[in-house]
Amino acid sequence: MVSSFTRPNLLILAAIGAAAGVLSGLFGVGGGIIMVPAMVLLAGLAPQRAAATSLASIVPIAAVGAFIFGRSDSVDLPAAGILVVGSLIGVQIGARLMPRVGDDRLRIGFALFMIAIALTMLVS
Amino acid sequence: MSVAEILALLGIALTAGVLAGLLGIGGGLLMVPAMVLITGFDQHVAQGTSLLVTIPAAAFGSFTHYRHSRLALRDAAGLAVGGVVGALLGSLTALSLDEDLLRRLFAVLLLAIAARMLLTRPQAPAPVDAEPT
Repeated sequence: MVSSFTRPNLLILAAIGAAAGVLSGLFGVGGGIIMVPAMVLLAGLAPQRAAATSLASIVPIAAVGAFIFGRSDSVDLPAAGILVVGSLIGVQIGARLMPRVGDDRLRIGFALFMIAIALTMLVS
Repeated sequence: MSVAEILALLGIALTAGVLAGLLGIGGGLLMVPAMVLITGFDQHVAQGTSLLVTIPAAAFGSFTHYRHSRLALRDAAGLAVGGVVGALLGSLTALSLDEDLLRRLFAVLLLAIAARMLLTRPQAPAPVDAEPT
């Protein structure tokens, strides 16, 4: 399967990775939110392959960020341990509910929820 | 760490995990604001902790993709080469910013992502094998 893939330009991939890395380090997120669409639009990858590839690159990207934040005492290790356990369970539940992906009401409801969170963070 | 705080963090992680799976977005986007608004973490600590939590989650998911031959390691390495340089710049920048400013910038990122979710219709992911060769 992998051998039949197109081989996207490595320079383009590195540039996309660099942009995602900046976003990841700056905001503590993975960076998939820009890598996946960028790989589809600029490197011509199929969305599912782009998602799998971006996830793998997030491992070293997040490791660099965690190391830099850790050096500045900006990582809470016990909290991270609890969050890992909880999110691994949560992802299993989410995967079982997968058929609801693409449900417009879920997506719109969540977007509105995120706007409410953002406004709270702006005024607090 | 108090029992209430442990329970709050477990709840945050469970919710973030379920929603991340359902909506196809990363858990960090949800965990960072929850750690700031619910458990009262400093914005920098919330972001640093989120990055650490992301590592096993992404490694676990990638391993599954790899076993199913959905992952081209060459392409992931290309992304990672640029990614680690970007991550270095991004995290050093974040640490140099004032906490209030960083929290507001994060809020702007959330608004942008919410707007994109509202304005674009989700596309069903194409089967991996459907890609023309």
